Amino acid sequence: MSEVDMAVIKPEMMKSYIWLQTADGLIQQVEQEVAMFCPMICHEVIQKDMGSSKNYAISLPQRVNPAMLSLILDYCRFHQVPGRSNKERKSFDEKFIRMDTKRLCELTSAADSLQLKPLVDLTSRALARIIEGKSPEEIREIFHLPDDLTEEEKLEPLKNTTDDPRIRLLNRLYAKKRKELQERQKLKNIEVEEERVDDRSVDDLLSFINGDNGDSKGIKNSKSKKKNRRRKDQQKNTSANEAIKNHNKEPNGLNQVCHSAEVGQKVRAGVGATSNLHDVEDDIFDNKNEPDDGDIDDEIDPALKEKIDREVEDFARRLNSDWPERMQEILSFGHERKPVHFSLNGNGSLRRYANSEQR
Amino acid sequence: MSIVIKQREPSRLPSKTDAEFDRISNLPGHVIYQILSRLPIRDAVRSSVLSRKWRYKWAKIPCLVFDNHCLNFSSQDQSFIKNKLVNIIDHVLLLHNGPIHKFKLSHRDLLGVTDIDRWILCISRSSIKEVVLEIWKGQCYKPPSCLFNCQNLVHLELFNCLLEPPLMFKGFKNLKSLDLQHITITQDVFEKLVSSCPSLERLTLMNFTGVTHLVIDAPNLQFFDIGGIFEDVSFLNTVHLSYVSIGLYVNIDNEENDARDNSSKLLRFFVNLPHIRRLEIQSYFLKYLAMGYVPSRLPNLCVDLNHLSICIDFDDLEENTAALCLLRSCPNLLELEMLARPEEQSSMERSTNFWEEDHWSSLFAHLRLVKVSGISGVKSDMDFIKFLLSNSPVLEQLTVKPASQEGEWELMKELLRFRRASIYAEVIYLDP
Repeated sequence: MSEVDMAVIKPEMMKSYIWLQTADGLIQQVEQEVAMFCPMICHEVIQKDMGSSKNYAISLPQRVNPAMLSLILDYCRFHQVPGRSNKERKSFDEKFIRMDTKRLCELTSAADSLQLKPLVDLTSRALARIIEGKSPEEIREIFHLPDDLTEEEKLEPLKNTTDDPRIRLLNRLYAKKRKELQERQKLKNIEVEEERVDDRSVDDLLSFINGDNGDSKGIKNSKSKKKNRRRKDQQKNTSANEAIKNHNKEPNGLNQVCHSAEVGQKVRAGVGATSNLHDVEDDIFDNKNEPDDGDIDDEIDPALKEKIDREVEDFARRLNSDWPERMQEILSFGHERKPVHFSLNGNGSLRRYANSEQR
Repeated sequence: MSIVIKQREPSRLPSKTDAEFDRISNLPGHVIYQILSRLPIRDAVRSSVLSRKWRYKWAKIPCLVFDNHCLNFSSQDQSFIKNKLVNIIDHVLLLHNGPIHKFKLSHRDLLGVTDIDRWILCISRSSIKEVVLEIWKGQCYKPPSCLFNCQNLVHLELFNCLLEPPLMFKGFKNLKSLDLQHITITQDVFEKLVSSCPSLERLTLMNFTGVTHLVIDAPNLQFFDIGGIFEDVSFLNTVHLSYVSIGLYVNIDNEENDARDNSSKLLRFFVNLPHIRRLEIQSYFLKYLAMGYVPSRLPNLCVDLNHLSICIDFDDLEENTAALCLLRSCPNLLELEMLARPEEQSSMERSTNFWEEDHWSSLFAHLRLVKVSGISGVKSDMDFIKFLLSNSPVLEQLTVKPASQEGEWELMKELLRFRRASIYAEVIYLDP
């Protein structure tokens, strides 16, 4: 609605207008009582005597573009009328808020820069309603948030509580599964490139996705460094080998495997080999070690590896499906020494974890 | 590697394209906190996994609410829930990284007192402004002395607590709103608490133990709402008090008190309420006011009184007298509500109509809205309504709601017959 229209509606009345200029240079006239509803404009008019003519148009903050300004003015125009009942105002607000989230965010930003608190309250309530109860993926989807946290970082608060290796295994399994699902999703989106993508190592792709500046060579180098370190650290290696041996004999051994981080990694590494997925952010667990650490590989019987694989993936899938509850449980689990809360809709393997002995 | 980059660009990757569409992460901090504060604490904390920018946003929200809505557990095991709850609150408080302005703890399964002590200590270190503490189960909780060190407190709300401030407690300088319900507090402590909070504007006191004589010394008090058992109430220095709602939950014995004290409770009550705008006299408080001498009209009219609600026993002569005095003393009354209190002993029907004679004109000169409820159609009730209808020239609406269906028809027939001074008056009958 342009100012010309507004003038036509009330031709007789001597209305005073305020001149406003948006960041893009567009100048417009707005009825005084409507514009003055915004504290920032009010301040400019009263304190600095601006807005009375085209030359002295009030320059609005950058966050207010013409589209948002028009929305805000609609809001002001309705609410500045004193005679409205609360019911009317509420129902106007409900209808007013119905817009896509992108515009809602812009509107919040614009209203905030004009210090129009009631509108900021209204829009933030609407945004909160959108966010409430949704999973992180859904929220990222809606607001176009980049998924740029490493799996470790996402679960860091949990690590703070305790060094329980079971949680670490859980974290890693979950992280692996999530990455796998994400990767599948991304690969689906690009049909054309699919062929070529397969040529490259998935490693590299992932490192690029996650904003990792290193190239594959770099990763390889670091991996080899890690390897060297591991080789030097005899104790850990031997225990790892031993543990894996135990693991071969009976799945229960997996519990002992849990007892040291690096062994945990190796289990994952073993598992990872069967799927195309690698978690690259954390140098510690990566697959490239696999072919190099031939000795480790040999330790695990392929058939058993398959079985472990399945168990672990099952486990991870269950985690994936009820992540929120898991989060809560883990938060509490971290403190408790008893395994009660750890039981999932069990198959035997899961319960085994639960019944493991404590350190 | 470079080929891959080019091919990947059009897709949705965390690159520039996403940053363009991400409108929410760059909103100003206080707006983000507003949004996060409106989420249940669980969703707010979960926002930390959304993206790099969101990782620690939740840790700065100034408002932490732990109540049934925010933390819902499906399990029935009490100790399990309690442990979980304690864990979660511990975690949140530990990981929180910023000033906490509002803290609300009101979960029905919360029992552990030592845990609450620890949390209060934590929040008392961070310039807390609002504290709401509701202990649903278990015995009275005694807040630790660190609560009384929170000099930035603006609003304090306690439910089922025992208040025993430390000896050095000098009051809350910034406290504007105090809401105490189901609390135990001694007389001295209460008086001292109220008088040492100079900014106090709102005081709510419900179901309290330990205070019998309410002495309210609060120069900025505007809102006063109490309900409980007490013997006496007096206002000192409450010039700004505009909303008063008092409910006396125990029936006092009039004869006994008359002998002891002949001073007028009514006069004493109103002497320090010059600007009262809304008054609600609930339960047996009118009986209290009727004690002692009751003038025909207050010496200082309550010119600002627009809204009056009285719980009255129409059969009680003293109460009627007190009510009439009040009605005569508020010339600008706009809305009136009379709640008939059913009394155990049904007194015999009076032959005289208490409300018949009134030599004061211009009563109800501005009265527009009246609600009468709980009546049973007996003569004393109907006398009042008749009186009301014939003396309110600008009445717009009278709503009548009986206590039960007994005698409905008779009531309605009588109602129909009454003369109305106002031609605009609507008489609305509501089903019991």
